[in-house]
Amino acid sequence: MSHLISRKRMTLLLAAAAIGTVTGTAIAAAADLSVARSVDADSLDAYKTSNTQSLQITNLIFDTLLTMDKDGSVHPGLASAWTMSDDGKTYSFTIRDNVKCHDGSSFDAAAAKASLDRAIDPATVNPSLSAWGPISGTAVEGTDLKVTLSEPYGPFTSFLTSIQASFMCPSSFASAEFKPVGTGPFKLVDWVRNDKIELEANADYKNFSPLIENPGKPHIDKLTFKVIPEAVARMAALRSGEADLVEPSLEEATDLKDDEAYKVYAAELSGQQVIAAFTWKIKPLDKPEIRKAIGMAMNRDAYASIAFEGLVNTANCPVAPNLFSTDEALCATWGVSYDQAAAKAIMEENGYTAENPLKVKLLVHKLPGWDQMHQIMQQDLAAINVQADIETREVAAFFDYMSTVNEKSDGEPAVWTMGMSGVDPDYLYFLWKRPGFVNMGLNETVDTMLEEQRKLSGDARADKIHEIEKYLMENAYAVPLLSPGWGWLMASTSKVDGFKMGFMVSLLFNDVTVAE
Amino acid sequence: MTDTSAPLASRRRLPVSILIGTGLAVVIVAAAVLAPSLIPFDPMRMAAGPRLAAPSFDHLFGTDEFGRDLFSRVLTGGRLSLGIGLTAVVSGLAIGGLIGLVAAFAGRLVEATLLRIIDVLYSFPDTLIALALVAFLGPGIENATLAIAISLVPFYARVTYGLAAAERAKPYVEAAKLAGIHTGRLVRVHVMPNIGQSLVVMGTLGFSSAILSAAGLSFLGLGVQPPSPEWGAILASGRNYINKAPWILIFPGVAICLTVLSFNLIGDSLRDLVDPRRKDRS
Amino acid sequence: MLLLIFKRVLIAFFTVIAVILLSGILVHVVPGDPVTAMMAQSVSATPEAMAEMRARLGLDLPVWQQVLLYTWHVLQGDLGTSIRGNESVAWLFLQRLPNTFSLAVSGLVIALAIGLPLGFIAAINRGRLAETVVMVLAVLGVSIPAFWLGLILMQLFALELGWLPVAGSGWRNIVLPALTLGLTYCALVARMTRSALIEVLEEDYIRTARARGLREYQVLFVHALRPALISIVTVVGLVFAYLLGGQVIIENVFSWNGVGRLAVQAMLQRDYPMIQGFIVVFATSVVVVSMLIDILYGFLDPRMRKS
Repeated sequence: MSHLISRKRMTLLLAAAAIGTVTGTAIAAAADLSVARSVDADSLDAYKTSNTQSLQITNLIFDTLLTMDKDGSVHPGLASAWTMSDDGKTYSFTIRDNVKCHDGSSFDAAAAKASLDRAIDPATVNPSLSAWGPISGTAVEGTDLKVTLSEPYGPFTSFLTSIQASFMCPSSFASAEFKPVGTGPFKLVDWVRNDKIELEANADYKNFSPLIENPGKPHIDKLTFKVIPEAVARMAALRSGEADLVEPSLEEATDLKDDEAYKVYAAELSGQQVIAAFTWKIKPLDKPEIRKAIGMAMNRDAYASIAFEGLVNTANCPVAPNLFSTDEALCATWGVSYDQAAAKAIMEENGYTAENPLKVKLLVHKLPGWDQMHQIMQQDLAAINVQADIETREVAAFFDYMSTVNEKSDGEPAVWTMGMSGVDPDYLYFLWKRPGFVNMGLNETVDTMLEEQRKLSGDARADKIHEIEKYLMENAYAVPLLSPGWGWLMASTSKVDGFKMGFMVSLLFNDVTVAE
Repeated sequence: MTDTSAPLASRRRLPVSILIGTGLAVVIVAAAVLAPSLIPFDPMRMAAGPRLAAPSFDHLFGTDEFGRDLFSRVLTGGRLSLGIGLTAVVSGLAIGGLIGLVAAFAGRLVEATLLRIIDVLYSFPDTLIALALVAFLGPGIENATLAIAISLVPFYARVTYGLAAAERAKPYVEAAKLAGIHTGRLVRVHVMPNIGQSLVVMGTLGFSSAILSAAGLSFLGLGVQPPSPEWGAILASGRNYINKAPWILIFPGVAICLTVLSFNLIGDSLRDLVDPRRKDRS
Repeated sequence: MLLLIFKRVLIAFFTVIAVILLSGILVHVVPGDPVTAMMAQSVSATPEAMAEMRARLGLDLPVWQQVLLYTWHVLQGDLGTSIRGNESVAWLFLQRLPNTFSLAVSGLVIALAIGLPLGFIAAINRGRLAETVVMVLAVLGVSIPAFWLGLILMQLFALELGWLPVAGSGWRNIVLPALTLGLTYCALVARMTRSALIEVLEEDYIRTARARGLREYQVLFVHALRPALISIVTVVGLVFAYLLGGQVIIENVFSWNGVGRLAVQAMLQRDYPMIQGFIVVFATSVVVVSMLIDILYGFLDPRMRKS
């Protein structure tokens, strides 16, 4: 280890001799950390954005009422305790004493209520609004925040641990212009859009998350996020020492992993799931056996090991691993397994031969690794007499197009891929309940089961979710492929220690130290 | 893109640059046309060799991340890139030329209106126009070609208008009008042959800019899609191997450079030869 | 004369209005809207939630109403706020304009520094090998895909040699993107310089000067270069426009925080107010400049007043 550090220092000294200016900051930067990401935050108002890059920052500035451990269990956060009424419609959260906001004001039950009221106010235009659940009222009782729901909402407490469920200090939104003031480990210093975000450690911070060891102020003093859209440039920034921690290019992540001068981090708790789906209303994909055959042709191991360079795992369920109730072994018994010969036989029985292949579209959108996966998938399908033309769109156009395609019951059949992430299997509801996300909703049976699981909790809910998963997979509406699938990798120089990634690819810097 | 100014006083012997340009172009076009019989592997075949293998006797240009043979891909890609360039230029020139002619001969109101629109469109970066169009049309090689063709339209409309307007002012056009010749016939029989040469030159120059646009679109991830071996698409999907397997970037990049260079050289020299004293610099 | 000015201003005004209306319609015709772009892969993207959000953002109104509403706001000088991040469109532009401008100017300076001497050498060596070599070199610059050149320069100067930073917004950051643009566009400058100089050298007064027995360098630098420079200056404006356009991809490669990157991002996110703002700003400046040129020509050349 020591010789590594000295090698690093040599490089720095050489660079110093060569230029003489920037190195001053590089050596003095012991307690500073510079992070390079591909995209900037849209907004630092956690109630006005749902994209990961924004929430990764807001999650550093704000805290959540509750927190989640690795196993999916819910723990206290800003609320030291909580209770649920027997009918599942009333929750009471005890807000901790002496929690300080960045501007010195204190965060109490009244502040929590103000924040929650703003989150669910339709005028806020919160993209995560429906995930907060059917909240019908909020009230302050002493140090308690009381929340009433119009009907039971099983995923409520899990949601309150997620990075969308930030609680803000009321001074954030006291004036017309939003300025992020929270209770989180870092304070905002400066933000130049599309360029950099500067944060500094919150000296008064108290940690409640079970994922973090450091009980107080983060070890680093300054944290800077830079935007470097081009992956080649981010890798160059990491190698030249301009950035300590970057979103690496997938192609080079394995090389970094094998290099002692660098570390690679993969989010295990991403909550991300990549699936393949079908335009099942269009012939011949209306036949479950054809859909199954296509699923059987998909060599998921090759997607994981070649397209994703072995940095993701194959996944068996329509819901991501590590979430409530997800049981990979159980799902494996319901889904199709890789068997190209058998798949080809099914296709030939249905009249699709090498001379007369089934023509489908492979509708996809662009992401690192996905492009490569689709190319292998195209070859997989060709092997069972399915001729797939890849059509790649950018994200906005893709989902818009999918909502049209999913409505149709004639035209060219299509296989398509998508990813979804969350902290609770309730995202099945958003996807599959009619009309569903981009019109992918299925039928009465599924709708009913999805409604039922929301009203249950504990094992009963887990059983219901298993039932839904089984239905989706036995009928081959969904072919689970991989988890995670996008933006889950980070890489740093080896002088960075203690960096962690939490649920939904949140970035945790509380335990980070920078060796010099 | 390209400028439209190049007055040159006198005709003289064929410049050396046109010889270099033509020589290169002949080799490139021949390689693209003969690609199917020249390539040792199916350009789409994965695991034709080891993954990311350096150039060797078996794989002249090395292999890519799927073990596909890059030599076969670059050669086959030439057909695509040249095809895109040709189609885009021919259609862009046809539409733009028509608009330019209409602007020049269809009366003052039409002229003023069209010119304004052309000027505004012309001022937008063509990459942005193509990008917006691809977003609108959807993906695929046909749509990328169409987007590039349309992004070339303002340029060609302007150039054609400039040439036609200059022609319009000449005595023979006045004479023909007085003689009662129909405008359509006038344009077809008298004006077109006179400006045709210049348009061919502009076409040659547009061809190279179309190839660059196609590569640029692919680089932004919005043009021709993998696994299609279009040069820009190979560059785009291979760019993260710049440290590990630089040959994935080098060979298609050099292919683009040489192709664009050759047509630019031809176009530049032809322009000098064809238009001895044109001063269209607006 | 006043009538001419009045006519030109009126035409310019209606052109801008037409552009705004047209762009508004086109923007809405493109598939995918800001809400889809925002909600993609979001856990709460129920159709009801998306419809609710569209209504809040006024995206549920018929397109013609949205377009007219937008035009009305623009006429009052309000470009609106972006959908992503809810920031003033005008402010977002103003924040980046200096960056885009400084990159274009630096690129232009490099293009001129390389292009002018090359063009000059080519012109005075007409028909010789030197001309061919110089022009082939210059054309080679414009034939290299700019993003490719950019990546290679970055790899060389930032990573291998460590002389320059990879990304950021300090003055040292501008060197690589400016160099990339300069190398790409020096061919245009060289070609124009060469043509202009050759043209001037054919003029009678140059022949007279030569006939009067002036030294060649006097002919070149005193009599030929200055008039040639005037025509070069006029085309520099053209190159500058190309530079602004050519920056789109380069800004991405070098993480340069300019208008081009903003425009591409807005397009991908379907941020209507941003896209339209871009079109309005761009179109207005073009129309105003060409209007001014028209009027100026009217002053300079009475014959132009007719057409």
